[in-house]
Amino acid sequence: MANSLLSKMGTLRLGPAAIYIHPVRTTTSKHWDPKFKKLRAQKYMKFELPDYNEDISAMSPERIRQKMKERGVLPPRQWMERPFYISATGGVFEPYVPPEGDGKASIVSTTRAKQTVELLEKKSKSMMAIRKIKSYEEDFESKEFPQLAQKIYIAAHESLVNGDKKALREYVTEKAYPEFRHNSHQKTLRWRFLESLEPPRIVHARCTDVVSKENIFGQVTVRFHTRQQLAVYDRFGRLIHGSEILAKDVLEYVVFEKHLSNMYGTWRIHDKIIPDWAPPKEPSKLTQWKPEPEPVPEAKVEETPAIADK
Amino acid sequence: MNKFTNICAIILKQNNINKFHTSTSSLAWTKSNVPKRFLEYNKKIYPPQENGEEPRPAFVCHQKTNIKYSPEKMWYIACFVRGMTVDEAVKQLSFVNKKGAIFAKEAILEAQELAVREHHVEFRSNLWIAESFAGKGPVIKGLRRHARGRLGEVRYQYCHYFVRLEEGKPPQDYYKLNPLTPQQQLDKWLEQMRKRKIINSY
Repeated sequence: MANSLLSKMGTLRLGPAAIYIHPVRTTTSKHWDPKFKKLRAQKYMKFELPDYNEDISAMSPERIRQKMKERGVLPPRQWMERPFYISATGGVFEPYVPPEGDGKASIVSTTRAKQTVELLEKKSKSMMAIRKIKSYEEDFESKEFPQLAQKIYIAAHESLVNGDKKALREYVTEKAYPEFRHNSHQKTLRWRFLESLEPPRIVHARCTDVVSKENIFGQVTVRFHTRQQLAVYDRFGRLIHGSEILAKDVLEYVVFEKHLSNMYGTWRIHDKIIPDWAPPKEPSKLTQWKPEPEPVPEAKVEETPAIADK
Repeated sequence: MNKFTNICAIILKQNNINKFHTSTSSLAWTKSNVPKRFLEYNKKIYPPQENGEEPRPAFVCHQKTNIKYSPEKMWYIACFVRGMTVDEAVKQLSFVNKKGAIFAKEAILEAQELAVREHHVEFRSNLWIAESFAGKGPVIKGLRRHARGRLGEVRYQYCHYFVRLEEGKPPQDYYKLNPLTPQQQLDKWLEQMRKRKIINSY
């Protein structure tokens, strides 16, 4: 047995020592001469396939121009008009500064003492403003206005909760509209106005003219102390903020605005004044990824021109 | 002659009107041909849940459209990642040596980003692939020359890839194959053996 094995091995050893230099072809379905590949390719009609996912915004203007020329497309008309709205102002002029601790802070504190002095000055201005409002709006009663303001306040919030965008525009100015709708996209809101803890009152009033002397806007700040309920649900109906069984006391200073010169102007919510001493906001229930801080733009070193300007 | 120039002017005017672009620049190039129905699921708002109810898992639908790849080939990749967690799918796809795997991976990562940013998902790793499928896109037909003056049709195919990520842990048995544990297999076999009837025994 061992002998026969040896003899077999011997024959192997005695065989010619062939050295295989050329590589072994494993792919048998491919022709060894590449010239046919080129010829085969010539049988196909050549044309450019469209790239549907082309990112136009990342293209250079020259490239876009080239592409449009290729297709014979005219450049789109530029939108040159800049829309702006003139039936509402863009902010609050001379905003009301809520007294420290809603007027209940210690009289000894310096800020409180300062504010009391300022308040006297502002009160007379508010009186003047109210008088001006009355000259445009005869029915304006500073005693009845807070009740009307509260109605507007509730109606605005209810239309927001119901997702009634059209109705919301009637109770909210164009400036406040995006602020109102901010973060409410795809969410379900449950809001209830429970009661008014203190009767609402006017704390501040101002009038200003825009562009021309006759074009007057009136702004009235109303203080609300109410009890409300709020629950915010996300798209899947899961609670993300507040609660439906918890009532909260809310103290707010809401600015109402009216375009007095406009015959059909209405009082609408314009802004909300958030005092410095307001308690911090309740944090979100969700764990969130802290975004990376934005890179600080480096201060540009102004190059001194080689030739001095004359 | 005068009349002719007048007519020419009118025609020119009309041509100019027709060439006027009033839409955005992207529309001037091509008409949108992307599927839209799948993304509509992202817009559905569910009613608020009661206090004791189990929280509804969040989901996000996402699609990658007009990929220059065959839908038939994409199908294999789409099936492959079904029922995996997002992290597992991304890991597996980076080792699949196919063109479509890159697109699928991109789509999954985009969907994950969307879920966290816009669809109230708290933890990005807590997602699994609930749906994953490929669809047929536009087909552009080309020509190929054959012998004896004949022609052949070449199909340049595009495909769409759709993915739905759901919040939570993936199910144990996604395809509902009900695999038995070794012990269960043994028990089943034993049961079968004991049920046998020995013919002519009594």
